[in-house]
Amino acid sequence: MDYFEPKTVSEALALLDQHGEQAEVIAGGTDVMVDIKYQDEPGCLVNIKRIPDLNAIREQNGGVHIGPLATIHELEESDLVRERLPLLWSAAYQFASLQIRNTATIGGNICRASPSGETLAPLLVLEAEAEVTFSDGARTEPFSAFFKGPGQTSLGSKGLLTGISVPFPADGSHAVYLKHAVRGPMDIAMVGVAVMATANADKSALDDVRIGLGAVAPTPIRAPKTEALVSGKALDAALVKEAGASAASESSPITDQRSSGEYRGWIVDALTRRGLAQCWQALTGKEVA
Amino acid sequence: MGLEITLTVNGNTHTAELEPSTALVDFLRDTLGYKGVKLCCNTGECGACTIIMDGKPVNSCVVLGMDAAGADLVTVEGIADGDELHPVQQAFIDTGAVQCGYCTPGFIVSLKALLDRTKTPTAEEVEEAISGNICRCTGYTKIFDAVELAAKQMS
Amino acid sequence: MAKAEYTVLGTDMPRMGGVERVVGKGIYGIDLNLPDALSGGVLRSEYAHAKIVGIDTSEAKAISGVRAVVTAADAPDKRYGRSYIDRYILAKDKVRYMGDPVAAVAADSQALVKEALKKIKVTYEPLPVVVDPEETMKESAPTLHEDMPLPKNLPEGLQVKNVCGYTGVNIGDAEAGMAEADVVVDEVYETRMIHPQYLEPRIAAARPEEDGRITVWANAQAPFPVRTEVAALTGLPLNSVRVISTDIGGGFGGKGSGVTSSAALEPICALLALTAKQPVMIVMDKAEETISTTIRSGCKIWIKSGVKKDGTLVARQGKVVYDAGGYSGFGNQAGGRCTQMVGGWYRLPNIHMDGFTVYTNKQVCGPVRGPGGPQATFAMESHMDSIAAELGMDPIEFRLKNVPEKGDSIVGVPKLRDSSLAETLNLAKEKIGWGKVKLEKNQGIGFATGAWIEGSGPGGGAVVKMNEDGSATVHIGKVDYGTAARFGIPMIVAEVLGIPTDDVTVLNVDTDASPWDAGTVGSRSMLVSGNAVKLAAEDARDQILRMAAGQLEASPEDLEIVDRQIQVKGAPSRSVSLASVCNAGHNEIGDVIGRGYFDSKASQAHERETGSSQPFTTHAAMVEVDTDTGNVKVLKYVAVHDVGFVVHPKAVEGQIEGAAAMSLGQALCEQVVHDSDGRTLNPTFVDYLMPTINMLPRIEAITVSGYPGAGPYGTKGAGEIGSVPPMACIANAIYNATGVRVRRLPLSPENVLRALREAGK
Repeated sequence: MDYFEPKTVSEALALLDQHGEQAEVIAGGTDVMVDIKYQDEPGCLVNIKRIPDLNAIREQNGGVHIGPLATIHELEESDLVRERLPLLWSAAYQFASLQIRNTATIGGNICRASPSGETLAPLLVLEAEAEVTFSDGARTEPFSAFFKGPGQTSLGSKGLLTGISVPFPADGSHAVYLKHAVRGPMDIAMVGVAVMATANADKSALDDVRIGLGAVAPTPIRAPKTEALVSGKALDAALVKEAGASAASESSPITDQRSSGEYRGWIVDALTRRGLAQCWQALTGKEVA
Repeated sequence: MGLEITLTVNGNTHTAELEPSTALVDFLRDTLGYKGVKLCCNTGECGACTIIMDGKPVNSCVVLGMDAAGADLVTVEGIADGDELHPVQQAFIDTGAVQCGYCTPGFIVSLKALLDRTKTPTAEEVEEAISGNICRCTGYTKIFDAVELAAKQMS
Repeated sequence: MAKAEYTVLGTDMPRMGGVERVVGKGIYGIDLNLPDALSGGVLRSEYAHAKIVGIDTSEAKAISGVRAVVTAADAPDKRYGRSYIDRYILAKDKVRYMGDPVAAVAADSQALVKEALKKIKVTYEPLPVVVDPEETMKESAPTLHEDMPLPKNLPEGLQVKNVCGYTGVNIGDAEAGMAEADVVVDEVYETRMIHPQYLEPRIAAARPEEDGRITVWANAQAPFPVRTEVAALTGLPLNSVRVISTDIGGGFGGKGSGVTSSAALEPICALLALTAKQPVMIVMDKAEETISTTIRSGCKIWIKSGVKKDGTLVARQGKVVYDAGGYSGFGNQAGGRCTQMVGGWYRLPNIHMDGFTVYTNKQVCGPVRGPGGPQATFAMESHMDSIAAELGMDPIEFRLKNVPEKGDSIVGVPKLRDSSLAETLNLAKEKIGWGKVKLEKNQGIGFATGAWIEGSGPGGGAVVKMNEDGSATVHIGKVDYGTAARFGIPMIVAEVLGIPTDDVTVLNVDTDASPWDAGTVGSRSMLVSGNAVKLAAEDARDQILRMAAGQLEASPEDLEIVDRQIQVKGAPSRSVSLASVCNAGHNEIGDVIGRGYFDSKASQAHERETGSSQPFTTHAAMVEVDTDTGNVKVLKYVAVHDVGFVVHPKAVEGQIEGAAAMSLGQALCEQVVHDSDGRTLNPTFVDYLMPTINMLPRIEAITVSGYPGAGPYGTKGAGEIGSVPPMACIANAIYNATGVRVRRLPLSPENVLRALREAGK
């Protein structure tokens, strides 16, 4: 197996151009090392861990710029993330064990494009953008376009994720990330639901409700019909119930060793209701009645 | 192709060759002889191979050996001060938290890292520090006891 | 006898070997450093059921650095097994589960092993797969073992197939009893396969010696059975095979059934070493273990009980279908024990049970912690709650109404000398706060009792060798994996000999030197090795006192050993050091070697005569159920146990807490998941969910005293019984919280929510 430690992004991109499908990019390694152990070794390993400045977390253009090599624990430890992107912070906190959070990178979590990836539904809800770089140039694209399927992204075999831009959520917004698992952070989520909303001026209704669903479709998804259903409205028990069912119908979960598709649907329903109720209470000070 | 790296383990500098796909746990055990780093799940789930890498606990089974180049590592072998056990080590013995003992090195390392961060960890902090360490023998009760005893003796 | 009578017993001595473990010394099998050893590996079946049409190893053999490639054709034409001798070390003609060993390789490096295994071409002809233990008994199912007969004791007239074990329980007249009942409750329960998942991977190493012998290192709980089987399966006489037990990183019975446990890793390794004429070491990967080594079986249990209106049990009928997997393994023994335990440990005059152990195309059953017991008890103790509910009785009161008392017989025990069951029930009720603690919405409390009947089993010996400084070196046949060997056993030697525990060394098992033993299984370390070591230490003490008697001009009976000194009772100034007597022994008898043995047959005969005292337990749990997601949070857990006299309190608590936690894992989330092709879907720890510290409460282990057992000083086995009640205990707490009975394990969020929805909640 060939091994490379590029020192710059362009060096890394040249290697990907040269080796194509044969190359596997490794950053933190928490997924790739398992692949190396249990599957055939890749033709070559391109370790981008030592490219400088790819782990920065800083305020930029009305949001937060996150370098893909930032570890999950670095996100948690960042005051900027905790204070300004509490939704992402919450997902990072529930990500896995401390040992894994010290190693795994947000870029790795994104590029793995597992539907259950813990940070993905929050990034969709935050309407974050990926900075995607190829040897012929860079572009930004919303994560809603970035994920193509399980393990598939618009990077293909020759692109690198070089940055994540997360706009600050609207002032006064509230968001929750609810992970469903038996052992909390230690498990891969059976379902993950991110809900974000703001209240209207007199706190009588929710505005701009965003709902992201993880592990219940080939990619992490938003639930646009459900968002439309509740946006601009006051939440009551009937509407919350309707929203839960609506979110479940927008998901298309599969059955695997973790749970059945049917059960995942029930959980999307339950967590959507819970997430909406929590947002409603945080934003209006009222219980859903 | 073997590549050469230099790293520090428990204050000792090592220079050795490794295959680039080698996991850090295998490099530490098989090449450098740190057998206290325990091999188990190979998936970063059980914590038996926990080491402190540049101040942070990590699962060495999912760290690329090459990433240890230039790193400062602490393994369970580097936690006692000569023959003087670290309070966590002594507490594990005193509370009966060592049954088969296979998970013990990983717990000791995770808890040493915790107690380096804070001498008075809350229950939540303890839980966070060692949820990534599986013990199959004790049911964790004696491990809770050990952490409490060690924290008490250190503060 | 009160604790104060003893100097050492009843204290919390630091575990022998504790320091090595906390500082990370390489003491386990996996740490073995065998110079010039080749790496070994095993090719495993990728089909759950297939004919082997051909195996071509030529490409693998041609790789430079590959030193041995073996298949069934290279091994003696011999099979192994426990009740059915139905298995070759490398599959011959057929594979019967995905993970069945087919070929093995030894090479200069692990990378070469991996490469060579890929180059072995096995041509399979796939056969129909059966994974469901009920389906496998039907005429339409494929036949798994063409040449294995149905069990001889199978009731006549049954049209079944793929059955490799039958256990019947017939007490009184169950039909007639049932007819007298006021209320009959009839239920079906199901449990799933779990893997013991000890953390240290299995290893085997083998070295051919210059003198024609072979040395095998194994992290096995039963080194002597391993030796017997390695010898038989490699064609060597027993005195040419030496098995050395390494320190062991967990076992829980998963390393306990000779070579069955490891799917013959030790004889395969020996075969490789003999073929390569070089030492070979094989380290299994944990995912490889999940699919290939022994497991706790899943089973289906039908249980029907008749009861009088006042709560008196009058009859029980039932059936167990117990999944042995691709080979019989420990299935017949575990399935039999399961069947008996569904019969229960209450006073019950009429019982009829049929227990079938069956072949399916899955991993093979082993003696995992309380084999058969946790599954049986999930059904039996859930069922007891169902009956109580049907009668409108308090679950504790209903059980107390039926507890056995002194002189009663229960399944497997002709006569009880005493019974602690009621005391454990009452104490558990008090400790959990039943009827007192205020329960919030969706919170509930559940109880379940348990037993682990100490029945028949082999005996075993011990040797206590005195060194000239007065210290003792102890040989027993039981290994240490956090069990009595290096907790309670050295304390007994120290107590008898009047020396500190630091002066006692208990050696690991080396079949060339250690007394024979059936293995560290069945909660029998204290019973067998504890009794034997007590007698051996007393034998050594008697020899010492006889020698000292001359010097002190006193009769041996008037002497005692206190703190390394031999002194005249009542006149401690007349003393001589233990060291000097041991040293002087060189001129008389060489060294003092005490021998003792536990005579299991005599012990059983005695207990048939006087009655036996059995370990009983009651567990209590408080849970909260999230009725929206099905999540169950265990808020409080109490385990009250009678384990007789307690030699090492923390060791005993640790066994109880650990056993309970393991079954709480099976209660809440653990299971090996298969698809219909027999493929294991969750082989790695990523999806094989064992309890982590954040999902368990602190388990409160409490022991009761006053019921001495057959072990030394009145101890009883403590290693397994803690795993018996938890699954039922949690199911009962969920019932108490929600009014819904979940009859299928695990009590995972999905299964709980499904049950809640089916019940319209």
